[in-house]
Amino acid sequence: MVATDLLTQSVVNGLLLGGIYALAALGLSLVFGIMDIVNLAHGHMLMVGAYVAILVFAATGITPLVGMLLAMVLMFGLGVLLQKVLLKHVVDEGLEQPIIVLFGLALILQNLGRVLLGGDARTADIGIPGDGFELGFAFMSFPRTVTFVVSVLLIVLTWAFLQYTKTGQAIRATAQNRTAAKYMGINTDQIYVITLGIGTALAGAAGALLSMLFPIDPYVGWSYLLKTFAVVVLGGVGSVIGTLVGGLVLGVSENLGALYLGGGYRNVVSLLIFLVVLLVKPEGLFGGSGGGE
Amino acid sequence: MALLEKAPGESLATDRRVQGLGVLAVLWLVTVPFTTTDSLTGLILTGLVFVMLGVSWNLLAGYAGQISLGHAAFFGMGAFVSAWLTTPSAAGFPGSIELPLLVAIPIGALASALIALVIGPVIFRLTGHYFAIGTLALAAVIELVMLDRRDLTGGATGYYVNADLSIGEAISHGDVMFFLTLVATVATVVVTYLIVRGPTGLGMKAIHDDEDAASSLGVNPLKYKMYAFVVSSFFAGLAGALYGHYTLYINPQSTLAVTWTIDSLVIVILGGMGTFAGPIFGSALFLLLDNGLSAIVGGFSSAVEGILIILFIIFLPTGLYGLIKEYLVEETVETDAAHD
Repeated sequence: MVATDLLTQSVVNGLLLGGIYALAALGLSLVFGIMDIVNLAHGHMLMVGAYVAILVFAATGITPLVGMLLAMVLMFGLGVLLQKVLLKHVVDEGLEQPIIVLFGLALILQNLGRVLLGGDARTADIGIPGDGFELGFAFMSFPRTVTFVVSVLLIVLTWAFLQYTKTGQAIRATAQNRTAAKYMGINTDQIYVITLGIGTALAGAAGALLSMLFPIDPYVGWSYLLKTFAVVVLGGVGSVIGTLVGGLVLGVSENLGALYLGGGYRNVVSLLIFLVVLLVKPEGLFGGSGGGE
Repeated sequence: MALLEKAPGESLATDRRVQGLGVLAVLWLVTVPFTTTDSLTGLILTGLVFVMLGVSWNLLAGYAGQISLGHAAFFGMGAFVSAWLTTPSAAGFPGSIELPLLVAIPIGALASALIALVIGPVIFRLTGHYFAIGTLALAAVIELVMLDRRDLTGGATGYYVNADLSIGEAISHGDVMFFLTLVATVATVVVTYLIVRGPTGLGMKAIHDDEDAASSLGVNPLKYKMYAFVVSSFFAGLAGALYGHYTLYINPQSTLAVTWTIDSLVIVILGGMGTFAGPIFGSALFLLLDNGLSAIVGGFSSAVEGILIILFIIFLPTGLYGLIKEYLVEETVETDAAHD
């Protein structure tokens, strides 16, 4: 049997990790829900964001939290460019073309990462691993707590943006019915540009935060793509609140899986949860019919 | 998008002259081991493996419309199962199950087909995007589990296959594997051709175009998807089994990794998705790129591949085949001039 305090600690760590997973998945979920595109390069965009933070940290010693802002700006630009140059040709062309374009992009980002930065795993570990505080029932590591708080903050900001701004409302209208939105005078092309910009910026932010906790190498893209897609499936496509819940569920189940089955099975656990949920309830455990098909 | 509207009929493949060229190509391939160096033979063998991968993935994706991102799993499992049978002791199996290569390779392919048969009904509950991501996840699970089972796979270090087939001094192991691969490639091309030209191929195209409409007309989508999936996995497994026994070395990362899925996809996109001859042209181009690119662009070769598939899918969705058809075949049909 695993001791209770170990179990509690594992759940707490899982929740803290789950916050970043939710942030990482939010961009994927929005793009999927609004544009009906699965961004196969999402994991690789996250990798790029992580590298931006790592490089800024390595060059200047500036905290990855500031690097994160830079990563978000750069990735927003990349997203805008991607939509304006490539995806606009294929976004309404059905399934195959967008998926293959984004697959190609993933290939490019991974290759550039490997050539420009080398294949070694790097981290922006801010160097205070033992630092943290006792919360009575569990130990809260400082980097994990900070990244969790920032993640949730960004999720709430995104939610408020979608809920209360005019652009946010236009985005939601486009998600519900892009033809009707167009007739109502919404520039859906513009909405796609903004959506993909936000989606990639959020991936960049999550990558920067993850670089504070885990080593990043150019190949992590695929594994984070699957993790974030698992969160999207758990939470329901296009649902901000669902994504948060999905992220927390995935974080906790991964940690429990690692605790009971061994660390080697951490990723297998999340993949299996993902496949099972996908097969049993593809519209998501917590989401209604957010967008989907 | 003009090329998209001129959707290719299959005239190229039914053309007598094209069939003649095909026979000539095979006859030329037969002479390859005798006329070139071992390394060149190996290179062309790799090209044949690409043809098998491309043709089989195209059957599933281009004809039945199921974008699978898990093709590597079937390639790798074909390689592993056949390797377990030719070299059982290296994986901790009793030596008594050892089988000759000619038996082990088809069994490896059958094992891949069997895996597809078992998981097909489950994974085909997913459609569209979900199917693509589901197959990617499935392949990742298989890779992770195989990596973890060091006893069966040698873990990250892999293990060496014991199957030297050289005949005397003149014919090396690589030459024998080349002939086996050539036979298997011709079989792959002929069988998939018969499928896509027959009623089953029509069923696949019907569900590709509009699954709901096909379904309401009495076409059972699952049946055709399963057919494509199982046949496609069989040939991917066959390619893996042959390739593993050509290199005589197998490990989870080199045979099960997403690379083989990427290769299959690039081959088909370059050649022309959903066209029969496309993947064959695509393999030739990909073989050139795979070996020539690094000399030109250094380490950036897979980025260039990525750029190429993006450009092709946006601006030339019928691929090299579409280009050839547009500029060569149509013209020669009109002027009835022989082309070479």
